[in-house]
Amino acid sequence: MDPITYKLPHTPQGIQKPGEPVKHISSPAVTGSSVLGIKYKDGLMFAADCLGSYGSMLKFKNQHRLHAIGKSTVLAFSGDVSDFQYMQETLDELMNSERNWEDDQSLGTKSIYSYIHAIMYQRRSKVDPLWNSYVVGGIEKGKPFMGYVDLYGTTYEADSLATGFGKHLAQPLMRKALEDKEGDLTEEEARDVLLRSLRVLFYRDTRSLNLYQIAKVTGEGVTISDPTHLDSEWEFGRNIRGYGF
Amino acid sequence: MNDFKQQFLGDTLTKTLFSETEASATTNGLGSTGSGFETTAHKFALAPLQKPVEFAKTHIDNTSETQARIQAAHGTTTLAFKFQHGVIVCTDSRATMGNVIASQTVKKVIEINEFLLGTMAGGAADCSFWERELGRQCKLYALRNKKRITVAGASKILRNMVLNYKGMGLSMGTMICGWDEDTTDPALFYVDSDGQRLENHLFSVGSGSTFAYSVLDAGYHYNMEVEEAKELARRAIYHATYRDAFSGGYVRMYHIKQDGWVAFDLQDVGELDIHYYPERKGVPDNQVQEEIIRPAGVSV
Amino acid sequence: MVPTEHHGDQWEPYVDNGGSTLAIAGEDFVVIGSDTRSSDGYNINTRYDPKAFKFTNNTVLATTGYRADCKSMAKSVQAQITKYAHDHGKEMSVEAMAQMLSIMMYQKRFFSYYVFPIVAGIDKEGKGAVYSYDPVGNMERVGFRAFGSSSALLQPFIDDQLGFKNRADIKPEERELHLPDLQQAKNIITDVFNGAAERDIYTGDGLQLFTITKEGGIELEELPLKRD
Repeated sequence: MDPITYKLPHTPQGIQKPGEPVKHISSPAVTGSSVLGIKYKDGLMFAADCLGSYGSMLKFKNQHRLHAIGKSTVLAFSGDVSDFQYMQETLDELMNSERNWEDDQSLGTKSIYSYIHAIMYQRRSKVDPLWNSYVVGGIEKGKPFMGYVDLYGTTYEADSLATGFGKHLAQPLMRKALEDKEGDLTEEEARDVLLRSLRVLFYRDTRSLNLYQIAKVTGEGVTISDPTHLDSEWEFGRNIRGYGF
Repeated sequence: MNDFKQQFLGDTLTKTLFSETEASATTNGLGSTGSGFETTAHKFALAPLQKPVEFAKTHIDNTSETQARIQAAHGTTTLAFKFQHGVIVCTDSRATMGNVIASQTVKKVIEINEFLLGTMAGGAADCSFWERELGRQCKLYALRNKKRITVAGASKILRNMVLNYKGMGLSMGTMICGWDEDTTDPALFYVDSDGQRLENHLFSVGSGSTFAYSVLDAGYHYNMEVEEAKELARRAIYHATYRDAFSGGYVRMYHIKQDGWVAFDLQDVGELDIHYYPERKGVPDNQVQEEIIRPAGVSV
Repeated sequence: MVPTEHHGDQWEPYVDNGGSTLAIAGEDFVVIGSDTRSSDGYNINTRYDPKAFKFTNNTVLATTGYRADCKSMAKSVQAQITKYAHDHGKEMSVEAMAQMLSIMMYQKRFFSYYVFPIVAGIDKEGKGAVYSYDPVGNMERVGFRAFGSSSALLQPFIDDQLGFKNRADIKPEERELHLPDLQQAKNIITDVFNGAAERDIYTGDGLQLFTITKEGGIELEELPLKRD
């Protein structure tokens, strides 16, 4: 299974002996589960629930996992929250230092993506990875861009992306939606498939929550919704037979 | 420009993005005192762990013995022997990675210079990298001293270079063969990655070496003529490829004479099989009719 | 291909993202095929992640293995090639680039790239050149080479069709007559990749077909493969 969500809870590796150098802790503590991203007609849409788990404990139920970087980029993360916060600080530092030039320019989505990849690959090459998977997306020079990076430094781009359990449960739904409409979803259709995907994840991923956020990047910029309740239907459970009932 | 880079990357990231953990060792030919050899530093990236060597050993397999993720090309039969007309150097041409035959056309004789040959057994990359480096060192020696390096000296440089990495998983078994200036005898040394360096008339190295030795020992004598020596070497390699799964492909042969080496055409092992055993005509052993002797009481 | 292996407590810093490459050298051309699928275990990451990189007007580097290492390696090679062009006022030859890559890979002998590269181009004599490597930098110039998750399907086939290995029916001196021209080589690549996409779960989605000739430089065609 995906090491990002399933190597829990965090424990230091091996026994620390006096005088020895500090050993790397390469497993996560507080974690977020799947994030989703999809391209549509006017830009990109992202979705994630608001849970920060500590092992099997639902520790933080208002964890924001979609973040704006600059004016037209969204960074969505799953995996370790503190590793993400380190990444966020690093990126803020980068964006601030760019702003010092006062040249009315800022880093575009591809540059930010490339920078995140550089950090992730660098850390994997120290065998001390940042325990995250990222979906980075935005609009640069009028064109939508969306890419994936993970703790191995593996990168790829696609019209729909997911991390963690979403790779198994949400990607098929999103790919089908895109194929049916030949990659030209309306905003409504994009939102619809993301919500359906979140619902499926809520039904089957034990580390998910029925409170979610949706982020949008269009030519106008980034909007991130407030945490919203996700409706779900459990009545059908009464009719299920064969699990010991 | 530096300011710009600083501005772009920030202080912490300049460090983290561009620093690399490196292993460096000094390789200094015959020793640093008065030998005239330059101390050359080679830098190799290491896994940034407490036991980087363990990492290298568990992840990179040179032997087909472990299930390591990275399977390096290897496996061999090589041989070389001295006789009255010089040295015959002969190898197979197969490289395996895990269970896969990675190549049937490997060049396991490395031409260090016109008078020196090295053979390749063990890790293919280890052999070719270090013998290429040896070639550079030998050229530097010749430029500085206005004469060729001796085979003894060259083999010692190679040994000293790989000794710096002893225990780190290098895999190399090589024969350094040549004919020194103003001498009447050829020279032959064996060098391996454990740091062993031996001189003898005859060596065979690699997974198929035992098979090659049995043929060589049966037929070897110093006063052979060139054709007899070539035929002995060819037979030895052929028989090794027949019994060792990690050897095969083509027989490659070199003859080192007083005025330098000459290379001969490759010979397909499959064609040699027909050549040596025409009655078999390429039919596998198990189809050859033989009387089967069974223990008493066992019926078919 | 195992998704994630663990050596005791040690985190495993390699993944295999699958995919296949195949290069064929001709008398005055080279063709390089590579699929565009990127996978992780049983997941398809994306259907379009090219693994062949064009460098000079004369050289293509095709890679399989761990994609992050592939891209990182390609970036380092590009940097060196650009530097060489500035220093020497000319483009690097395939021969030089091939040897350089071998040394660059060996520099990481103890923390190796998990990459199986093929370098292809036109050599100084105008002939097609294909160089193949193992992950620690052992280099060999070959006539044709298949690497990656389908290599065990593709290599035996081209050994027979292009190398005439163990073919008693074609005499050695007649073999040259049977060597493919450019169009035939391209046909072989499209055909074998269709076969690989049929039988290998890690190969599919799209085929990138690079053609290098002395006159025409590098041409790229993109063709669809099975997406299942």
